[in-house]
Amino acid sequence: MANAAVIGSNAPSSFNGGSSRASPRTPAPQSNFAPWKDPARVPIVRFENVTKRFGNFVAVKSCTLDIFEREFFSLLGPSGCGKTTLLRMLAGFERPTEGRIIVEGQDITDLPPYERPVNMMFQSYALFPHMTVERNIGFGLRQEGMAKEAIAKRVAEAMEMLELGKFAARKPHQLSGGQQQRVALARAIAKKPRIVLLDEPLGALDKRLRQQAQFELMRIQETTGTTFIIVTHDQEEAMTVSSRIAVMNHGELAQVATPGDIYEAPQSRYVAQFIGDVNTFEGKVAGVEAGFVEIEGAGFGSRLRAVAPEGLTRGQQVWLALRPEKLRIALERPSDSINAIQGKVIDVGYLGSISHYHVELASGQTVTALRANSARTVERAISWEDNVWLEWPAETGVVLTR
Amino acid sequence: MQGLVTRRWLVIAVPYAWLLLLFLVPFFIVFKISLSDVATAIPPYTPTFDLSQGFAGIADFLGKLDFENYAFVLDDSLYVNSYWSSLKIAAISTFLTLLVAYPMAYGMARAPKGWQPTLVMLVILPFWTSFLIRVYAWIGILKKEGLLNLLLVNMGLISEPLTILNTTTAVYIGIVYSYLPFMILPLYASLEKINPALIEAAEDLGSPPWRAFWQVTFPLSLPGVLAGCFLVFIPATGEFVIPDLLGGSDTLMIGKTLWSEFFNNRDWPVSSAVAVVLLLVLVIPIVLFQRNQEQQREAAR
Repeated sequence: MANAAVIGSNAPSSFNGGSSRASPRTPAPQSNFAPWKDPARVPIVRFENVTKRFGNFVAVKSCTLDIFEREFFSLLGPSGCGKTTLLRMLAGFERPTEGRIIVEGQDITDLPPYERPVNMMFQSYALFPHMTVERNIGFGLRQEGMAKEAIAKRVAEAMEMLELGKFAARKPHQLSGGQQQRVALARAIAKKPRIVLLDEPLGALDKRLRQQAQFELMRIQETTGTTFIIVTHDQEEAMTVSSRIAVMNHGELAQVATPGDIYEAPQSRYVAQFIGDVNTFEGKVAGVEAGFVEIEGAGFGSRLRAVAPEGLTRGQQVWLALRPEKLRIALERPSDSINAIQGKVIDVGYLGSISHYHVELASGQTVTALRANSARTVERAISWEDNVWLEWPAETGVVLTR
Repeated sequence: MQGLVTRRWLVIAVPYAWLLLLFLVPFFIVFKISLSDVATAIPPYTPTFDLSQGFAGIADFLGKLDFENYAFVLDDSLYVNSYWSSLKIAAISTFLTLLVAYPMAYGMARAPKGWQPTLVMLVILPFWTSFLIRVYAWIGILKKEGLLNLLLVNMGLISEPLTILNTTTAVYIGIVYSYLPFMILPLYASLEKINPALIEAAEDLGSPPWRAFWQVTFPLSLPGVLAGCFLVFIPATGEFVIPDLLGGSDTLMIGKTLWSEFFNNRDWPVSSAVAVVLLLVLVIPIVLFQRNQEQQREAAR
């Protein structure tokens, strides 16, 4: 999450200003990396109104998306949202029903997979069971008719990068899941493709191995300077590794933004709820004044105040989204509060570093608040059945219109 | 605990008892006859056990057994040629069966999952009719005024009817047809197991479909290819019905030779020797087949 916050704090001009810092070998720190903000930049991958139908089922609905060189781009969504179909269309395993796919200025919509400048790492790894690790990794290079010595050198490079040297002569079934995953990655990068596609690459690993592998993916992506496009349903994984995330829902792009923006400035309730925990208050616009909106609703007593997005009209239905860690919880109503709601604690989850409080409002809605346990002892700990006040400044809530 | 061990032994004993009774005992009877001499008697060979003589009778019996029939079989060019020709015909028809079966098995493995049980059933369907009747049916198809010639002449592809029946070609057709399911089923089993993502991975890494087939699909189907080939080759070598019904006088196969030795010449000892030698000839492919199955099981673990 720390990473996400850094990306989220981007100034729009930082990429243009930072060009001198970026050398071709070592990519600029991610906080300076925002090619999508530069209108002059040509994307390395462009989906143009791509639609994919399987019979009556629409897997991808008129999707337009630009992905830039050296991005670590995530396609995130629940299963069946079309993220894998989008990736498979880029790999060439599925043909778009409508629209075009452009890679490096070339229309590749009709190219077969074996002629595309992309390599994929498969969810099942798809390692050739009858070949050794070495031959698996060299498979792509052999297809190009490369000289034997050159292949051996490139394979050795890839194996070194992923610490696979001592497994060179093994067959895939003699490897652990984590080792197989690294072989699959080594095979996908061995041809030095411009774009590497990763279909749920860490889905089969347990949680600890997964976190290690995420950082390994990021390291490989940075050292090779390749564009990575990853499909995942794990929002934490997407937040950790990505330069940008495309959140998908029912074949449509719900939002494409940096992890920080996705988290702090979701554009819809769907995105807000999909990434992290969120409390939403439904209400109507009571008035807009000086950039702030007053929201009134049945679920809470007083009006709530928040930064107003463009184009709100009085009486319009809106949702106020609040992250649990942005809520302050107190036994007394703070005197200077702008937004405050009263409720009763129905559940406390103590996790050591933080505590979760589930607070039931008068309307019956349950709100979650997080509190960091920064002091070892508190005068009066908040506990079950306590009547508490939830309070937050006007800037922390996000007003959503859909 | 004691009961469990006994029961476990019982489970192992049943198949061994089965083999002993239905394979080993008959084999020894045949082997014993092969060491006898032909005679005009019932049964048509000597010596026979004469238990009334006691131990002396058994010693007399054993003393009269010899290997002269084997020397005869291995010396006579008819038998050697029959063995050789059988192996050749079996090998060629195994290869032809593989050529026909592979695309069918491949198509089955690639068919929608819902169809596959039906397709497997269609492959087994011919077994519902007697093997003999199916081979007879081929006579009707292949004979001079048969269905095939009628069709080809009417289509204008040939002017004179072809002579297929009673040639070695007809034997090939018969073997390929009859043993096709034995080739398709193991091939299908191994092709169906291949993860389709492997083919995609090969194509993704720059291998066009045809190359991907030879680099990935075919090597991975080899256990099925081997199993299918053995399942066709082993019985085809000793095949009798097909060469007898479809083959001509010049089609030399050991099964036919054995049959005529047994029924026409009534030479039980020589035909028994022929049978024992045939078994020895087939021991090599059978052992190879067993080893292949063994490796398969190892790999699956």
